[in-house]
Amino acid sequence: MTPSDLLRVDGLTCRFGGLLAVDSLSFVLGQGQLMGLIGPNGAGKTTVFNLLAGAVRPTGGRVFYREHEITGKKAHRINRLGLARTFQNIRLFGELSALDNVLVGFHGHLQANFLSAILRLPGYVAAERQMLSRSAELLDLVGLGELKDERAGNLAYGQQRLLEIARALATRPSLLLLDEPAAGMNPQETAQLAVLVRRLRDELGLTILLIEHDMHFVMNLCETLVVLDHGKVIARGEPAAVRCDPGVIEAYLGVEVDLDACEAPGA
Amino acid sequence: MSRLSRWFDPGPLPAQSESRGRDSGLTVLGCLGAAALLWLIEAQGGGYVVHMTTLAGLFAVLAISYNLINGVTGQFSLEPNAFVACGAYVTALLTLSPAEKEMTFILEPLVWPFAVISLSLPVALVIAGLVTTLMAFVMGFPVFRVRGDYLAIVTLGFGEVIRVVANNAQSVTNGPLGLKGIPHLTNIWWAWGLAAVTLFVVMRLVNSSYGRALKAIREDEAAAEAMGINAFWHKMLAFTVSAFFEGVAGGLLGHLITTISPSLFTFFLTFNLLIIIVVGGLGSTTGAVLAAVLFTFGGEWLRVVEEPISFLGLDIPGIPGMRMVVFSLILMAFMIFARQGILGKHEFSWRWLLGLVRRRGGRA
Amino acid sequence: MDALQQIINGLTLGSLYALIAIGYTMVYGILRLINFAHGDVLMVGCYIAWFGATMFGLPWWAALMGSMALTALLGVLIDQGAYRPLRKAPRISALITAIGVSFLLENLGLVVFGGRPKAFERPEIFNQLLQWGDLRVLSLSLWVPVITALILAGLLFIIHRTRLGMAMRALSRDLVTVQLMGIDTNRVVAATFALGSALAAAGGIFWAMKYPQINPLMGVLPGLKAFVAAVLGGIGNVTGALLGGLLLGMCEILLVAWLPELAGYRDALAFVLLIGILIFRPSGIMGEELPE
Repeated sequence: MTPSDLLRVDGLTCRFGGLLAVDSLSFVLGQGQLMGLIGPNGAGKTTVFNLLAGAVRPTGGRVFYREHEITGKKAHRINRLGLARTFQNIRLFGELSALDNVLVGFHGHLQANFLSAILRLPGYVAAERQMLSRSAELLDLVGLGELKDERAGNLAYGQQRLLEIARALATRPSLLLLDEPAAGMNPQETAQLAVLVRRLRDELGLTILLIEHDMHFVMNLCETLVVLDHGKVIARGEPAAVRCDPGVIEAYLGVEVDLDACEAPGA
Repeated sequence: MSRLSRWFDPGPLPAQSESRGRDSGLTVLGCLGAAALLWLIEAQGGGYVVHMTTLAGLFAVLAISYNLINGVTGQFSLEPNAFVACGAYVTALLTLSPAEKEMTFILEPLVWPFAVISLSLPVALVIAGLVTTLMAFVMGFPVFRVRGDYLAIVTLGFGEVIRVVANNAQSVTNGPLGLKGIPHLTNIWWAWGLAAVTLFVVMRLVNSSYGRALKAIREDEAAAEAMGINAFWHKMLAFTVSAFFEGVAGGLLGHLITTISPSLFTFFLTFNLLIIIVVGGLGSTTGAVLAAVLFTFGGEWLRVVEEPISFLGLDIPGIPGMRMVVFSLILMAFMIFARQGILGKHEFSWRWLLGLVRRRGGRA
Repeated sequence: MDALQQIINGLTLGSLYALIAIGYTMVYGILRLINFAHGDVLMVGCYIAWFGATMFGLPWWAALMGSMALTALLGVLIDQGAYRPLRKAPRISALITAIGVSFLLENLGLVVFGGRPKAFERPEIFNQLLQWGDLRVLSLSLWVPVITALILAGLLFIIHRTRLGMAMRALSRDLVTVQLMGIDTNRVVAATFALGSALAAAGGIFWAMKYPQINPLMGVLPGLKAFVAAVLGGIGNVTGALLGGLLLGMCEILLVAWLPELAGYRDALAFVLLIGILIFRPSGIMGEELPE
């Protein structure tokens, strides 16, 4: 593992009963990379996220984040190390306001203990005010500044996806896992999302791994792709190369693939 | 690096909101008003009204605490009777004089530390609260390994175990006979003073970053964990804080009704608290206070439907009568038709009240 | 001889727990609901049988059958009135409602039947004292495991060999899909409640014959313990409920026999076992996955 590698996945395997959801998956994610994890439905992409983030224990293999081995560690510990995620099936705290959702993300880094929170000691009060202003900034960043007092459950679908990103950012990650961030968004929202994701990487230096079905979005945004099918890697590399891989085309048959682009490589 | 990275570094602090000064002023006024009302009740109301008001205060404490773990944190548990029992026994054993204890414990002598000491009520209450907190802490390890229905059953089981222990550990609890002659030290000020402290502490906790974490666990535990929140320790926090106040309230309850026995701390007590927090709105701390008062006095009013007049108050379990039938129906009706309760997950706030007054004024 | 005596006692008690636990486990398997009122349904069943026997002079088997039928009806009514409106609500709402139903039945019992226990007569066939050497056994103690085995065999037949049983098994896997396939889930749920409640009545009546008295709060402890038995065996699993019931019954009897100084703690044993099981083997003996 070279110093610039942020995440190394080594033979990661996950079995549910008789189903091999992820089959000895290996890849390395360098600092500041923007990688896409794609594949047809049921390929095991979200399971990979669950394994990386600690929601599901792997059956085999190892995961290293920076110098730490995080295989099978608890989700909150992995998050505190700097790995944050969003959820495919949006899992916001529905009854809480948009602002509170983001504030929850900051809680893990709160230094003040609960007694100083109850007594409102200066250390806690300062931290709380800081969290408030940072949360408002994060909401502005994803374009939800106006909606901070809205109940998260009442936001529109696309807005909920953006709020999930803001909440994940509040945990101050170095590596961000985005699970289908563009799902349910209209083309305009998707374009704005692409701009946002690129800004997160370019301006904040975040490393980003994302799952997405919108091929246009993925091909334009990601620098490298890993293609999964039935839990196995069937291709990896730059988008242009992956797009024309016969194995990938076969796996995606029936799914919209821009075959025309392959006939003129480099176009 | 651009300005985007700013939330990683400390920066200038934002100003306080302007409505805070007004709200604190109104809260102080509200407290003074409540104190005046209590003073009036103590001076003018008969012994019975004073007793019921005191009881209402203790029920408010219990409901606020119970709601913290059940409503705010969303961990549906059924053990408060165990905590109240623990607090009541510990306090009584500490305040009774050694001579009285020797007279009470006829069958088996009382064990060592309790047999010789006699403490003042405040000290005894703090110790009882801490002992109850410790009990909750130990209980929390097995309890929070499970979720949902299982959590409910395991905590219910703990309540039963404590009751069985109280019945059998003669040398500590005096068995089924219980403790008699506990000095009547709890008055309206003790009860409502504790209620004020509990309300203050719990509201402060709920409205802090920790409170947001607790609510996040209620909404989606896995997502909260993914956001770096250690769900286990936060549940433990809510559980132990609620146990502390339930223990202290149990101590005051013992010194209000002066006789305690295991039959006082059955699941029936928990059931009453469950009705209160459901009616007040699961998750609403101020709703819990409101419902506790409604329940205590509403329960008295409901006596009309019951022919034989039973003695003392709601705290005596096993009253055969229609009142409990009505209570059960109320609980079911709230669950089926008005799951949000009176206040839902909202809290009473001055802004809401002033808005209401203004709207009324505008219409007139 | 003493050991044999204890084993028979444990078997009898365990069979009673098993009969009650089966109702819990069936309802839980399908609705993921702890039917808190199950123990109180049992109490109502006992009163129905008592009224049948003493007021109408029915023979014991007729009182038993009548009580099982009426209790089945009660179970269906409770489901339709209290639980059905909450099928789509958060699970905790249904649980709270179940606690409400439980208290409603107990307190209605107190109001209608009065708090004083009523003597429950043991029919002649169950009242013989059998004696072999030192071993003295009430015939009831031998009949109970036999009857439990017969009832369980009948139930397993229903579950595995009939259309209704097939629908129940499908429902316990995936309620939504079964609904989409055009099966009237409400009828299956109602049938489950009917079967479970009838078994609770049977269990309760033999329980009442054993102790021989009934009161409106009699269902609370057997109900709770039977639930523990169901969890011990792996909730949702009918055979597991039988094993869990037998295990719990044996443990209780052996605790009292071997450690008589701890006899007073007998009622706490079930919960200590429960906590132990949830810590060390949360899926129970039969290994059903414990749902979130």
